[in-house]
Amino acid sequence: MATLLVNGKSQTVDVSPDTPLLWAIREHLKLTGTKFGCGVAQCGACTVHLDGTAVRSCQTTIAQAAGKKITTIEGLHPQGRHPLQLAWIAEQVPQCGYCQSGQIMQAASLLAKTPKPTDDEIVAAMSGNICRCATYVRIKRAIKRAAGV
Amino acid sequence: MTTELNRRDFLKGSAATGVGMTLWFTLGDGVGRAASASAFDPDASMTITPDGLVTVHITKSEMGQGVGTALAQILAEELEADWKDIRVDYPTSDPKYGLMLTGGSWSVNWTFDTLSRAGAAARLALVDAAAQYWKVPAEECVAARSMVRHLPTGRSISYGEIVAKAPITRKFSEDDLKKLVLKKPSEYRVVGQWIQRLDIPEKTNGRAKFGIDSFVPGMVYAKTAYPPTREGGKHTAVDDTAAKKVKGWLKTIVNDQLVAVVATSYESAVKARDALKITWAPGPNAGVSSESIFRDFAAKAKDGAGAIEWHKGGDGAAAFAQAARVHQASYTTDYVAHMQMEPMNCVARFEGGVYDLYTGSQFQTLAMGTLAAVLKTDQKNIRIHQHYLGGGFGRRLDPDIILEAAIIAREAGRPIKLIRSREEDLRRDFYRSATLQTLRGGLDASGKVAAWDNVIVATHPGNRWGPDFVDKQGLDQFALNGADHVYSIANQSVRAIRMETGISVGYVRAVAPNYTFFAVESFVDELADLTKTDPLAFRLSMLGDAPRLANVLRLAAERAGWGTPLPPNVGRGLACVSAQEKKSPTWTASVVQARVDPATGQVRVEKIICAVDCGIVVNPDGVRSQVEGSLLFGLSNALKERGTVANGALVQSNFHDYQVLRMNDVPDVVEVHVVPSTEYPTGVGEPGATTIAPALANAIFAATGARVRGVPLIAERVLQAIKDKA
Repeated sequence: MATLLVNGKSQTVDVSPDTPLLWAIREHLKLTGTKFGCGVAQCGACTVHLDGTAVRSCQTTIAQAAGKKITTIEGLHPQGRHPLQLAWIAEQVPQCGYCQSGQIMQAASLLAKTPKPTDDEIVAAMSGNICRCATYVRIKRAIKRAAGV
Repeated sequence: MTTELNRRDFLKGSAATGVGMTLWFTLGDGVGRAASASAFDPDASMTITPDGLVTVHITKSEMGQGVGTALAQILAEELEADWKDIRVDYPTSDPKYGLMLTGGSWSVNWTFDTLSRAGAAARLALVDAAAQYWKVPAEECVAARSMVRHLPTGRSISYGEIVAKAPITRKFSEDDLKKLVLKKPSEYRVVGQWIQRLDIPEKTNGRAKFGIDSFVPGMVYAKTAYPPTREGGKHTAVDDTAAKKVKGWLKTIVNDQLVAVVATSYESAVKARDALKITWAPGPNAGVSSESIFRDFAAKAKDGAGAIEWHKGGDGAAAFAQAARVHQASYTTDYVAHMQMEPMNCVARFEGGVYDLYTGSQFQTLAMGTLAAVLKTDQKNIRIHQHYLGGGFGRRLDPDIILEAAIIAREAGRPIKLIRSREEDLRRDFYRSATLQTLRGGLDASGKVAAWDNVIVATHPGNRWGPDFVDKQGLDQFALNGADHVYSIANQSVRAIRMETGISVGYVRAVAPNYTFFAVESFVDELADLTKTDPLAFRLSMLGDAPRLANVLRLAAERAGWGTPLPPNVGRGLACVSAQEKKSPTWTASVVQARVDPATGQVRVEKIICAVDCGIVVNPDGVRSQVEGSLLFGLSNALKERGTVANGALVQSNFHDYQVLRMNDVPDVVEVHVVPSTEYPTGVGEPGATTIAPALANAIFAATGARVRGVPLIAERVLQAIKDKA
């Protein structure tokens, strides 16, 4: 048994401490907006925030997440109207959409620390997140729109 | 999984008779039936409910193309429905939908006419019902914005009210449907509009449901153990003593078809599966490697035996004999994996003789047929509950995961969720075939191409699915198309050598034209160079029969500043294609500008300028989005993706060693120019991808004078070509 603080709510999950946070979030708590893509922190689809910073939940164990504030795409904004989410719609970013929760969470972490990122800072922050539909041009545009740069 | 699929029967009784145009909604005994106060359900394409909502049933898979929005726009146009009333859903598989297949950039091309007619028929039926309700002549009534108005009195009634109050009785035979007069493009109000995609909001907040997000009551988790070789491996002994001790273990399943464990959670299923002690017989392909495959390909190509003529025009032998100059070049492409972001998965439940399968499929018709045949049941007992696809790219055409999940659920006696790891997903993929293409061109004294011959060595995926998917010679057109290019060359031939390698192949986005146009468009550049002609002018001189292609080629060249000076080590290359198929081409041309580091062979693509003519544009931003994505998918294939084989299996295992395009590889400029047109629409999901490898190889040549004839165009090959030239 482990207690996790997810999107402001304390939740108990019946998993062993070495379980990746990803599977606790997705399959036990059924917060399925966080996606499984590679299992080895190579694609970023599973990105969530731990105390406000983007981490790969597939490589974060329950033990590491316990006691920290976990934010998933479902908790990024109560109505799904975070500036990045609005920009994602305005720029019509997603295609298949599978990687986009991770992309948005990664971008949200970037903007929280660097509200006005340069192009190079965007590329550096986002190059760990793969989009196989290759919506990269629009992802970049949406981040700039949300940041007002 | 070593299931011996019985593919003979699966298409019987279904609407699929090979891959071709099929009316995708059933007409039954005519469109329209009395429906009052419930819903108007005129055919399989839509339902109109008393609340006024029009739900368009999308039987194509939504895998990022925005197909739901585009198809709904087509129907809404003729229905005269207000866009705000439009909803879409993705129905569960049912033979009534006919061929359920999504691929080939076919969706809009195949459905534009039928959906337009379905919309028009429903509109006429609603108008008639309103007229009868008012007891006025139908000729005095018009439909607009989900309302029918009686012109002399100004009265109006909404579609929803008609459904609730008035019997809808008008029927349409297939003949009636054919005779309907449709709008002219100049009258379009929904088609061609910049309408936001319906699926996007829920793809920004985590609510979009993919197959992997399915849960059913009582569901547990399964993991399969896969043999070490891609084809032909089989388990000979399984010891699950240690697996049984894993917390959460429920069952070990060992049968002729597979080895799997079932456990209470995903993580315990992984642990239990990993604890199995399995003895594998790797089968006949354990010695297969990339080296052995390409060696076999080269031997076959050299010998030429077994080459089957697929495309022919004129008299090649005579033309080559008379040629002033003959040039020959061979091109190779490596295996390419789909690497869709959502690993293959399926939730399966077997209850009361019925299999309920929750997944995302591109080819429900094939899945239903395959499962019915292997599980020895009727197709009506196979229900595929469609979800969003976390990338398709052709991977979800194959029903392997659905069948595997169904077998496990049956053996487990309870619903299961089966999720492949990325490693399993990649190792069990159906790759784009490795290929070897040898082209020969004969130039006459004036430098004109008088003869052309292309021998293509590849594995043909259709043979795996069965005789319905290949021609009488056993050739799969989807392993060859593109090679039948549209250049005016009097004498030409394309010959195919089919190979089985022990590595399973399938259809990967843009399919054969990815490799055929790499060879064709590289070779055309080589011939242009031999004749000291500008590659643009050389192509245009052979495009007299394809004016729309010449037009996009000129446009792309002009926008890219073709012919203007560039710094050292930077070059521009172009390619133009009639993809996806010659009979329904989206005319596409790209110019790639690339910088090459001559010391390392590293390539940086700076610009991609693409021009597209796809006929009528249904959703302009959707077209742009698809073309942008396909260009960059093509760039990923062209620059980075190299599947290699050792010991009968793919060597690569995950994104660290099978690299795909990331944001830091994206060119600074990606421009898409869409040509306005009133021609019948064609598809845009793939063609852009096919231009990139050849345009980039041509750009590398322009920058360095070195010709790279192997895709991917990795630094080591570029460097080697630079050395070879020196």
